[in-house]
Amino acid sequence: MQPSPIQLSVRNVRKSFHGKAGEVRVLDDLSFDINARDFVSIIGPSGCGKTTIFNVIAGLIEPDSGSMHYLGEEIDSLRGRVGYMMQKDLLFPWRTVLGNVLLGLETRGVDRVEAEGKAREYLKGFGLAGFENAYPKTLSGGMRQRVALIRTLIMDPDILLLDEPFSALDYQTRLYLEGVLKDAVETYHKTVILVTHDIDEAVALSKRVVVLSGRPARVKIVHDIDISASSPIAARSDSRFSGYFHALCAELDIQTEKTA
Amino acid sequence: MTITLPGTAPLPKRKTRRARRRFNFDTSLGRAVLQAAAVIGFFALWEIGVRAGWISAFLVGSPFGIFADGSKMLMSGDLVSDTWYTLFEAILGFVIGTIFGSLLGLALWYSAFVARLVEPFIVAINSVPKIALAPIVVLWFGTGLVSKVMLSVSLTAIVALIAAYQAAKDADVDLQSLMISMGADKHQVFFKAVVPSTLPSIIATFRINIGFGLVGAVVGEFISSQRGLGHLIYTASSLYDLNTVWVGLFTLMIMGFVLYYVIDIIERTSLPWKQSNTVHQVQV
Repeated sequence: MQPSPIQLSVRNVRKSFHGKAGEVRVLDDLSFDINARDFVSIIGPSGCGKTTIFNVIAGLIEPDSGSMHYLGEEIDSLRGRVGYMMQKDLLFPWRTVLGNVLLGLETRGVDRVEAEGKAREYLKGFGLAGFENAYPKTLSGGMRQRVALIRTLIMDPDILLLDEPFSALDYQTRLYLEGVLKDAVETYHKTVILVTHDIDEAVALSKRVVVLSGRPARVKIVHDIDISASSPIAARSDSRFSGYFHALCAELDIQTEKTA
Repeated sequence: MTITLPGTAPLPKRKTRRARRRFNFDTSLGRAVLQAAAVIGFFALWEIGVRAGWISAFLVGSPFGIFADGSKMLMSGDLVSDTWYTLFEAILGFVIGTIFGSLLGLALWYSAFVARLVEPFIVAINSVPKIALAPIVVLWFGTGLVSKVMLSVSLTAIVALIAAYQAAKDADVDLQSLMISMGADKHQVFFKAVVPSTLPSIIATFRINIGFGLVGAVVGEFISSQRGLGHLIYTASSLYDLNTVWVGLFTLMIMGFVLYYVIDIIERTSLPWKQSNTVHQVQV
């Protein structure tokens, strides 16, 4: 594998919040690199500040200290250039499917006719043709999250930030959407950072998995996942899958064998 | 073999067919029959009471008298013109007050500092019974249409303002964050995320405010005016003409009733995305 250039570099980021119980250090000297066209999963104990990392990258909150570089250039944040997807689909209930997909392009001031043409093309590509005028309320959870994915991809973001996007869905829908995501990422040549608590999902989708320690979050270890399967489902039957899975469980201090 | 667990509820028994043969009053026809019977019964008792001398026609009027007075006023056109006048004042006050109040409430979203600064003043203004302003409003805006509309505005604007401000504060932060991550500026977040999410709350105030609009118009007419249903009721009661008072009151009631259903239609058709699915209630 030839080395890819570093696309995003996060250096020594610290962030604390002030709560009722005093200062809570969420990120403590956190550093990691994301290569171009990388697919990195971040896993760690719940509440360790994974979402905070995304909020810093997306420019929703400012870090106390630390820096970020994008293709070698120092930046404040990637606001307006990321595609942020959360666990909640966050579709605007008063907008139709088409209207939701158009949200980002409207915000950017893209010509209406051009934007609509592009949106219809994407909807067709993701098997949602015929649902353009439906309101989110009438769609299933999987379809809603697919609309959210299209809304993210159509903006042509530099980096996709996926914050447990499938965790509210049932297992079958999740497997299906993992496949849709993987295909889309390859088609559109995207870089992805995926936050998940699902080790199985992390191994099946990623090229690398970053394991964080509990709060305050630090990078504990980075595992390269060397499975070149055609789909996330095929990846699960790869001979090395189980090995990665158990290694990551061990990193997270999850007991995988019965100690009798 | 049947297994009986302690504490299990008995299975519902199949209902016998015989019980269903009775007329079901809980249908639109059945309810209409009962409602009409209640109204007719009420007026019949009233009329009988007056004729038998149990109650004084001088103090409460009588249904036949009300009907006679009402049809006379309807024929002469006085009732119609008074009704339109009051309706016009109420609707004008409602529309201006609701729009003005909502815009002000939404605008407070823009600056949390200004909002916190003016909050106690809003509470203070809201706690004043606006009806108490009526004499001053008449003094300032005269005895014509404007003073009634202004009174309606003062009643409706504050309700709309508080509802709009609260709804804007409660608007889903995640939707706003999503827009910011897309690179949206504050105006775009306001118009695309905040304003649409406040619409259900603002529309919900219509129902309350249409009533306040009428209150403002009628009270304004009580204080001083030459026209309108409030004026009609006020002058008739000072002449102990109870039948005419009732004509005015019933007309107001019908007006409120019609307005309520108009608002209901607006509420149901204006937010197609909120259309709730039919819920089938289980018969117990």
